[in-house]
Amino acid sequence: MQRFTLNRRQMLGGLAAGAGLSLLGPMRQAFAAVPEIVWATWDSNGHPEYVAAFEKATGTKVKLSFLSSEDAQFAALKTGSASDWDIVNPSLNQASRYIKAKELMPLDLSKVPNLATMYDVFKTTDKVKGEDGKTYAIPYLWGLNPIVYRSDIHTEEPTYSTLFDPKFKGQLAMRDYALESIAIAALHLGIPRERAFLLTTDELAEVKKALIAQKPLLRTYWQTIGDLTNLFATGEVTAAFSWRVPYDALKDKMKVAMAKPKAGIMGWCDCFGIPASLPEEKLETAYKFADYLLGADYAATIAEIGNYATTSSIIRDKLTPEKQAAIFVDDLSVMQNFIWPVAPENYSEWLKVWNEVKAA
Amino acid sequence: MTFRQRHLALPVAVAIIAGCLAPLAVLVAFSFYEVEEFDLVPAFSFRAWGELAVSATDWFLIGKAVLSGLTTTVFTVVLGYPVALALTRLSASAKGLAVIVLLTPLYTGEIVRIYAWRIVLGGEGLVNTVLQGLGLIDEPMKVLLFSPFTIGLVLTYNNLPFMVLAIWVSAEMVDRRLIEAARDLGARPVDAFFRVILPLTVPGLAAGSLTVFALSAGEMLTPSLLGGTSGSTAMALVDNLFGTAFDWPLASALALALLATLFLVASAMAGLMLRLKGARAVIGRA
Repeated sequence: MQRFTLNRRQMLGGLAAGAGLSLLGPMRQAFAAVPEIVWATWDSNGHPEYVAAFEKATGTKVKLSFLSSEDAQFAALKTGSASDWDIVNPSLNQASRYIKAKELMPLDLSKVPNLATMYDVFKTTDKVKGEDGKTYAIPYLWGLNPIVYRSDIHTEEPTYSTLFDPKFKGQLAMRDYALESIAIAALHLGIPRERAFLLTTDELAEVKKALIAQKPLLRTYWQTIGDLTNLFATGEVTAAFSWRVPYDALKDKMKVAMAKPKAGIMGWCDCFGIPASLPEEKLETAYKFADYLLGADYAATIAEIGNYATTSSIIRDKLTPEKQAAIFVDDLSVMQNFIWPVAPENYSEWLKVWNEVKAA
Repeated sequence: MTFRQRHLALPVAVAIIAGCLAPLAVLVAFSFYEVEEFDLVPAFSFRAWGELAVSATDWFLIGKAVLSGLTTTVFTVVLGYPVALALTRLSASAKGLAVIVLLTPLYTGEIVRIYAWRIVLGGEGLVNTVLQGLGLIDEPMKVLLFSPFTIGLVLTYNNLPFMVLAIWVSAEMVDRRLIEAARDLGARPVDAFFRVILPLTVPGLAAGSLTVFALSAGEMLTPSLLGGTSGSTAMALVDNLFGTAFDWPLASALALALLATLFLVASAMAGLMLRLKGARAVIGRA
């Protein structure tokens, strides 16, 4: 057997070559990596710590551009004033609006391997597909919009009809938002959840009557979730159709709870989308980011800090039962009761009704 | 004003007119456009104007804006005159301090003020707690917060400094000997006010009234966050139409109708103030 030996010259040559390669490695990565991508998203979805692992793994900095409203995001894309956004955040219920307006590019799903771990309800949704059958957005974060209530005042778990109950006059609040408020009134009137967003003109008229009758019972219409949290904290409101934020903010200070009405739970879901105008050289990084949003690092951090669940099951079984319950993935049958608020074809009629209710 | 001074104001005047007319021209053009699949399509359509013409809600909200502007103006005039006249009687240093105190609430942001009002007027707030503590009421007075009363109170409070300052500047220029002469000739204080002070302070009254009217008629945040279910406004509807509904033509038509209505009411206000006995002499003095 020939013995393997190195003389001094070979040794030095090898070290030099190794040093050279080790220098070239990062340089190659530096040339390939995009230095920065801009992610337009909600402040609750994009804390800097949520994207730190992506930045470390890819060398690409994620610049966060926080949205003020879904409408503002759409308008910014539409008017071209958001030319620096590389990744946008359409909601599942509004995705078709962006697709019809040709603001998103069709996605190559083979570049997002973590899609395999996505819950079926999100994987099979048609709401992210265009008329051409192509997928234009990827659902990545979801949650429920419960009724938040004071459990020391409401001894029975509220339903949507509680929000129309004269017994609680002056303690109730609804969101100043046509889509959800009209659907809640429809569910209160007994219209099945499959049709809560497909109301006929006659049904809309009935809903309008119910909402006008509800007005004297309401303390106010809430505008932002901070506004509603303040209303609970100051004792103005004891039950409201809500997001989970007031519950998380106040659960240690007062007796609050979340109700998930059996008539149907309003779900929300945010999607990953790439603006149609994204330059070619950023595309690879954008796909990596989509995969990251469905990966373990993002799911673990946002579950821990923000109490939100991603659409991927990737870490579910590793979470404690308490954490699973906190982010609504303890009982997966909840996904069978989702109602996705989707802007109906006659949405302008809905808005007209809502404005008439408010002005009545 | 000399010829040269007049020319110095020209660039600013041009900038103001251009900054006002250009967006208006855009609104006029948009009001005739059509929306197809979330695209604004240039057209000459009267759809938006037709819808606006028959919309009871839109006209109700425009009327509400006018009413809100007028009531706030009246309240600030009634409350502002005594404060402005009292300011004229202070020493120079006290005047400076008083003006700073008067403006202090404006140094905080509007949102801060709104949440402060909630703390003061809420069911568990300061006023209700004190009244309950004194045994004057058994249950909290819910009407204090989230009602038309709240909107009126807060808009009056927010706009009062603008009215006081405008009247005060005019009142400072009133020759006190005229008031003394009126009193010497037998005028009661109230007559001296209405026949001497009021006409001579019309420039300040007009400036304050038009400012307060414009600010309060166009206010959106205070009504929506403090007005409860009565907080809907024409401005919020314009915002809703531009954003959620993506109906820019109707939003433009409504914005123009609101603007035209407010302009007409403001012109009528200015005309009425000029008709006050003696006012023309002051206005025309420059």
